[in-house]
Amino acid sequence: MTADAPGRGGRRHRPLPAWALGALGLAGLVATVEAAPRIGLVDERYLPPFSAMAAALAEQTGQREFWVSLTETLRGWALGLVLATLAGVALGLLVGALPPLRAALTSTIEFLRPIPSVALIPLAVLLFGTDMRSTLLLVVYASFWQVLVQVLYGVRDVDPVARETARSFRFRQFTRIRTVLWPTALPYAMTGFRLGAAVALILEITGELVIGSPGLGAQIAVAQTSGAVAAMYALVIVVGLIGVAVNAAARAAERRVLRWHPSVRGEAVA
Amino acid sequence: MKRISAALAAFSLLALTACGGETATKDASGETTVKVSVIPIVDVAPIYLGDKQGFFKEQGLKLELVSAQGGAAIVPAVVSGQVEFGFSNFTSLLIAKSKNLPLKVVAPGAGSTGAQGKDFGGVLVKADSPVKTAKDLAGKSVAVNTLNNINDTTVRASIKAAGGDASGVKFTELAFPDMLAALDKGDVDAVQVVEPFLATGLKAGNRLVASNYVDTAPNLTIAGYFTSEQTAEAQPELVTKFTAAMQKSLKYAADNPDAVRQILLTYTKIDAALLPDLTLPNFPAEVNKDSLDTLAALAVQDGLIETAPDTAGLLP
Repeated sequence: MTADAPGRGGRRHRPLPAWALGALGLAGLVATVEAAPRIGLVDERYLPPFSAMAAALAEQTGQREFWVSLTETLRGWALGLVLATLAGVALGLLVGALPPLRAALTSTIEFLRPIPSVALIPLAVLLFGTDMRSTLLLVVYASFWQVLVQVLYGVRDVDPVARETARSFRFRQFTRIRTVLWPTALPYAMTGFRLGAAVALILEITGELVIGSPGLGAQIAVAQTSGAVAAMYALVIVVGLIGVAVNAAARAAERRVLRWHPSVRGEAVA
Repeated sequence: MKRISAALAAFSLLALTACGGETATKDASGETTVKVSVIPIVDVAPIYLGDKQGFFKEQGLKLELVSAQGGAAIVPAVVSGQVEFGFSNFTSLLIAKSKNLPLKVVAPGAGSTGAQGKDFGGVLVKADSPVKTAKDLAGKSVAVNTLNNINDTTVRASIKAAGGDASGVKFTELAFPDMLAALDKGDVDAVQVVEPFLATGLKAGNRLVASNYVDTAPNLTIAGYFTSEQTAEAQPELVTKFTAAMQKSLKYAADNPDAVRQILLTYTKIDAALLPDLTLPNFPAEVNKDSLDTLAALAVQDGLIETAPDTAGLLP
């Protein structure tokens, strides 16, 4: 997505700004999707040209159902991500700060973490039926591990000198967490948050698509079973756009929270 | 997704028996809210239509239609009492019944039109395919939306009815929306589709070689609405009211095909231009028990279940 053009062209050519390159890439994708069905590379019935998708999208945006679904999706995603982040950070700091607990739980975490969220769909449906809570369960489960594991790594990364210093000064447990553990773990937690944000969106849509809980995913499924190909791709485009927005927002949040951190200070201000 | 559905079904069979049903609640206006889990396809048009016509309100019911992606998600939701009623095809219900899931059919849903070549589902081949009749499907590959369910057993019935050897046919599982593309590409020799993909496929020049639901049994009832035995016992009044409203809806749908086509625009995304070409299913007044026995016999014959369940026990 982002291009770190180092300006190889010397003085005469100013490199295109990152946003322009990004837009260029997107335009290329649009042109390909428009042209491929038109010149017969793919069958128009199964991949309509971009203009047809755009028209279907315009039609969708005129319907209340679309906006309701969009809201449902965003709400499920945000709620799931917040729950996962809170739980991941809290448990990560707790487990990370207490070595015996960490030793006891490492294997359990490694066992649970790789279980794909979609494998929990039967359990989710059993517990909550086909409403949004089923999907929420998948979202929280998937993004929770992203945050937790990052925080665990972060806690382990604490500078031994800082830790010893805190101990020498007989910092209380809470002060130690606040001044030593937390600043070290925060960049990791933010990485976990950013990864979790993307994973949460994927699972939100998957849950809606497979379980049928309300949201854009369910609308995609309805479009599929109705043979409305252009409408289906229109919704897929919307999901893609949400993905871009989510990533941008998570990056912005990261930059803001970590503006003191060398990794961010070193980054060119976009 | 299919694997997930299968896992879901298996899981539900294992785990779901003890959960009790929630009691339907009355709201301020005195109406009882009733949740019904349906698949957003043509077959369930009568319930949407009946709701719009106020047939459920007449019975003091406030309908809440919950859209699910397949029967595999609906059965657990009904058995666990998260929804009061669900919609499913009868082969799935017979399989569930044979696994001792406590289900009870409360109303018919959709059936075959019984007209050869003019049903809402059928087997399509490419225009230039060597397959001329159902008999020629022996040894070919046929796509069905779910393996070991109503569509492969009825396609086998079609082949047998045409005098062919059904044992050699190879079934491939594909979602309905993917079938026509697979047929075009030559991945499969034939596809078993239902509306709106049947009309779409015929429009694209494909050829109908079998009306598998018609070949299976006269007036085959394909799908219906069901509840759990717990709900049926705990709230017999609710079931009576729902059945009454449902029957009125089915009758209305059968009498007003244009209204059925129009209501499709509200809960599906079917192209309005395709509506006149759709063949609507029959909306029967009652479940044809003989056809149900045929489905049960086919399910046993094809090894879906070991012994035919008590079909009378499934019916109201």
